[in-house]
Formats: sequence, structure tokens, C-alpha cells
Amino acid sequence: MIDRRTNRGSIQAVASYVRAGDPLGHTIALYGRPDPNYPGVRCSTDLGAFDYVVFLCEFGLQWMSGLRMPRVLLDVPRDRRAILDADGMYNAVIAVDRYDRNHANERERLRWMAQCDCLAAKLLQPTFEPPQPGVISMPFYGYDPSLQMDGKSSPPKRFDIMHIGHNWWRWREMSTCLLPAIERIRAHLDGICFVGLWWDMVPAGAREQNLEIAFGFDSDWFRRLAVEVRQAVPYTEVISAMSEGRVNIMTQRPLFRRLKLLTSKYFETFCADTIPLVMLDPDHAELVYGPAGRQLALNESIAEKLLDALTRPEKYRKIVQEVRRHLVEHHSYYKRVQQLVAALEGRS
Amino acid sequence: MKLLFVSKLDRFARAVSAITKYVQTGKALGHEVALFGEQSSEITSVPYSLDVDKFDFAIFVIYGPWDFPDLPYLARLLDGMPKERRIIIDCTGRYNDTIRIEHDFNHLEKVDGHQGWEWIEGFQAVSDKILQPTLKPLRPDVHPFLFHGYDSSALVRSYNSPEEAAGAWSGDGAASKPYGMVYVGHNWQRWSQMSHFLEAVEPLKDRLGPICLRGWDWDKRPDWAIEHGLQGVDVDLALLQRLSVETGWGIPFDQVVELVSKGRFSPVLHRPLFNHLGLVTTRTFETFCSDTIPILMLPEHLVDAIYSTDARPLAPREDIAGKLNDMMHQPEVYWDAVLKTRAYLAQHHSYHQRFKELLAILNR
Repeated sequence: MIDRRTNRGSIQAVASYVRAGDPLGHTIALYGRPDPNYPGVRCSTDLGAFDYVVFLCEFGLQWMSGLRMPRVLLDVPRDRRAILDADGMYNAVIAVDRYDRNHANERERLRWMAQCDCLAAKLLQPTFEPPQPGVISMPFYGYDPSLQMDGKSSPPKRFDIMHIGHNWWRWREMSTCLLPAIERIRAHLDGICFVGLWWDMVPAGAREQNLEIAFGFDSDWFRRLAVEVRQAVPYTEVISAMSEGRVNIMTQRPLFRRLKLLTSKYFETFCADTIPLVMLDPDHAELVYGPAGRQLALNESIAEKLLDALTRPEKYRKIVQEVRRHLVEHHSYYKRVQQLVAALEGRS
Repeated sequence: MKLLFVSKLDRFARAVSAITKYVQTGKALGHEVALFGEQSSEITSVPYSLDVDKFDFAIFVIYGPWDFPDLPYLARLLDGMPKERRIIIDCTGRYNDTIRIEHDFNHLEKVDGHQGWEWIEGFQAVSDKILQPTLKPLRPDVHPFLFHGYDSSALVRSYNSPEEAAGAWSGDGAASKPYGMVYVGHNWQRWSQMSHFLEAVEPLKDRLGPICLRGWDWDKRPDWAIEHGLQGVDVDLALLQRLSVETGWGIPFDQVVELVSKGRFSPVLHRPLFNHLGLVTTRTFETFCSDTIPILMLPEHLVDAIYSTDARPLAPREDIAGKLNDMMHQPEVYWDAVLKTRAYLAQHHSYHQRFKELLAILNR
């Protein structure tokens, strides 16, 4: 069960789980009625037909409304319900550099934890080392080579640099690291494109929730740098959109970097016909992507690294191929399905 | 009988007024009524309780998904109260197929995240007994129960005759009635009717006096509506300016009757969806508690069915300006209709009556 959106969250992962489950003999479905906006995603509302219900939770829990939940509470026992805590909410209050945070305060944290404890017997986090005792490590997101786009099927390259992701707690890193680096080398770059929500506006309600800071942006700066902003694309078009860029930069909000939380983007960027550069600590990049992944970490000397990738694409293509081989071996969705089943059955 | 209401109370909206009346009426009739949850410091007139086992029935009063409690409270409620002792009062017609009337609707995923089928299946998971505040529910498995009622003890001013009422209404002048018209309610799916009303009374502007609209989003189209491309919360600032309409935020439920009494007229409007389903609201009855002439902007069959034919003179049909003009010329005719309607409401739609109807449904 997820907060169903075509252009954000874990929907790409869900589609991959559905595909990977079948050959392994596991039937995986998304809660809800079939919807043409989610092609290839099996949907079901027959809760009794499944062994487990997994809730993919992010920042907000409003979607698990009192209207939606009674059926689940009444039809599925708690020991057959699990939560994947994608945003690291099931932790102590963590505020990174007085900026990004999982909870505004202890009261909100306790409310969140109480809801989760009541809902499910198992709590999973997409990190290799969950800080909270009792939380199960479940990398969850993975690499689906069937989505890989090669040079032949890829759209023409329209941009030197692309960033695909929503502007949610990302502005500080953008404004202090990435944009200054781009500014230094702008004359050497062709098009730049940011795809996603909130790069040019604060969503309605953010001010009232004291979350305006999470949506910082500077349209003048973007204009000066000739950065094109495009609206978010549905998950079915993400990889194709990424493939329009020679280089794709993956960023993470500071909280996720602190908790080393994996996301869909970690892997889907490598399905695109592009050179992914990941703004991660090199050790963490190596842990996920293997030794070659270290060379794709965009950590220091950002401007130089961007120019290097653009001027020596063959070198980077080889690195990307090396990483893809590692991902197939270690992070395929076949592996993930098996890990998830083991976690649900208490074998992890 | 011990009744536990389940709803999210807001001092400015929805069921707060009705549930407060059920608490008072229940007490007067020897019953105990409380609201599920931890005691609110804002709404002290309603006792709260988490002690589910102590109650005979849980009555969910639902406008939106937020009216159901969150976890862990939801689990506590469902565990503590068996399904046959849970009922739902569906105040906005959610328990129907998806219906769209003009810009209005009973289900829209982009507003509250739920598709139509979830409302049906969600309600059926909670209860086998679903009530709607309409005389004629569309679905055969819904019980009609108007829920909202008329509280004659809340009358701001009572009169012995239409002449006395008309004299007071005409004679007090601007000193006691600073507004020609007051409307209290939120601008959600009401703009089409309100703009129709305002355009109609524009020629009477000088004789009518100032107009006051109190509620959410009368001063501008809200950001969330723009972001989601939702109609039905529009405003025409030029029209409001031409009529010098005073707009303001909502007011607490316990100040509504008094504020409405500051206007000579007050329109009773229902959302297009509500008109289609025959749903009534707090304001359907409460407006008659104020010292004002209600203008019934409602379908004729609903006026007859709820207020009786005595209220017909208060419904302007197509000629709003002509009707208001006539009301100002011969107010005693219309106050006669108001007083007769009040008497009818007191007899047929009091909260005492509602409470008895509710108990009969629970015991059925």
C-alpha cells in the first residue's frame, strides 16, 4: 500500500516488485483498483488473498486515513503487516545542520511512532544499518535491467546536465555546492535541465505547515544560469527523460545522506542512457555501487568532475557498465523480492 | 443510552453545532453523549472520552476522511465497539456512486486522496448501518435521518405576532441591524449560487444596506484550488467591490446565530450536490434561530418537505430582487411565514425529535 502518485515516491519500485515477483512464484500487487495511469502494475483490493501487507511510508501518514484503514485492520492481522519507513521517520528526532529533519519535534515523532507501532509488527528501513533497535535493514529499492535504455532507443541528448528529482530539502546542497560549481563552468556547458516539482514554486499549504524552508528556490539564479525547469514526469517516463542528459546528477536530502537511506533514484539513474554522477560520500557510493561507483561520487571538485565526464564520456561509460554489472549481481529486484520475503517471514 | 460520537470537531465548521446540541439534548433526556478522543480545550461544551467500552453505540459523523480517527485511536475504537453497534452518518453523500453536479462532487481523489469505491468499501467495513441527512437517500441500504435540527431555545428574539416582528425588524433600522444581508458559511461549492444572489440584489444595493459574508475563501480564490484546478471556490472581486461586500474569516459556531441576526436578510444556500441529494445542513435550521428573514435559495420540493408550505413565501424562485423588494415593503407577510416556519420546525425538527429518531434507528 502506498500513497499512490505517478510522479513521486516508490511507485517505480512497486512496478519492479510486481514484475520480479511473478517468476519467483510470489504474487505482488498494489492496493487499489486497476488504473491506466499505472501500466503493468497489478492492483488488488482483495486483502484476504495476500499473505502480507507492506505499507510504503514516507513523510506523511495522512494517506493511511481512517477511511482506508479499517478494512486493513479488520482483514489482516498485525503480525502480517509491515511498514517500509522510506524517509527514516522511525528514529529519534534528527535535524541535520538545523535544516533538514525527520520530525519537527518530539511530540510529532511520538505520534508517528505510535501510529506505526499500532499498525504493524515489523518495521523495515532501506538502509544497511538502521540506527533504531528492532528495525530491520531492507534495502528495498533495486536495479531493474529490463528498464535499461540503450543508445539506440534513447531520445536525442538535449542537455549536458540533468537533475531529476523534486525540490524537497535539496536547496541547501544545490545553493552551496552544485549551483556554484555549475556557475564556474557555465560557459563550457550546453543545456541544463531540472525536472521535478517545486523548483519554481512553493506548494500550497507549505507555509502553514512551517515547511517553506524545505522548498527553497531562486528563479533568478536559475535564469542567470539558463537552467530549464520542467515539470515532474510520471514514473514510466523517468528513465527516458534522464536519457536526454549526457550527465545526470543524483542528489539526496541531507537527512537521507545522514541515514544512508536508499531510494529509487539510486538505481533507476543507472537504467538511463546517461552518465550518472551521485552526490554521495565515496565510501557509501562504493558500498552500493561497488568499487567502480567510487569514481562516480560527486563529492569534491564538482566542477572539474562534471567537465571530465562531459569531455571523456567513454571513460565514464566503462565505469557505468562496471557499476551496472555490480547492480545486476547485488541489487536486482529478484534479490530484493527474496530479501523482502525473508524479512516478512522473520528469516532476515 | 450512552452514545459516543466520532468526528473531528472544528469550532468553525461541520458538525460541531449539531453534536453540541446532541450532548445537551441527550443530557435533558437522561442519556449520556460524548465525543471519541482526548478532551479538547477549545470545545469545552462537548465531553470527550476514550473509554469505548462504556458506550452502547459509536456514531461516526463523517464529512471527510479526517473525521475518522487516526491510528492508534482508530484501532482502539474498532476493537472496542463491535460492528453492529457502530453507525455512520454520512453528511455529504459520500456513500453513493460518484456524482458530479456543476463543479460539485461527492468524490474527488485529488482533493482527499480517495476514489469513489473506497468510500463505499470503507463505510461498509466500519458499519452495516449508514444514515444520510436527506429524506430520500439514493441507495436502498441507506436510512434517511436528517441529523441536524432546530433549537428553539437558541432563538435570538421571539415575537408574538408577525406585526410585532415586522415592526421590530423595520423600526430598529441600522442601529441594531448594521447589515442588509449576512451569510455565514464557507465558500466551498457555493459561489455559483452566491454570485447569482449578489448579482440579483445589486439594483437594490442602496436600499438593502451592507452585505457581510463570513467564512473561508470569500476574499480570494485559495492557492490550493488554483494548484489543483478546482472550481467551485471562485470569487468575483469586482462584483464584491461593486456591492461593497464585507468579507471575513469564519466565526465560531456559537456566535453564528447572533451574527446572522445583525442582517435583515440571510440566504440559505446548499451546495449543488446537496440540492441534488436533498441533504440538509446545520444552517438549514439554524438560520431560523436568528432574528432575520431567511431567503430560501433551495429547490421548492425541499422547502415544502423540510419547512412545510408555510415557508413558500420565503423562497424567491427566479425573482430574488422582486422578492426582497416586496419583503421590505410588507415585512409582516414574510414574518408571518418565518414565525409559522419556526413553529413547524420546533414541532417536527427539534433536537428532541432528532434524538428520538436516532434512538429508534439504533434500536431497530
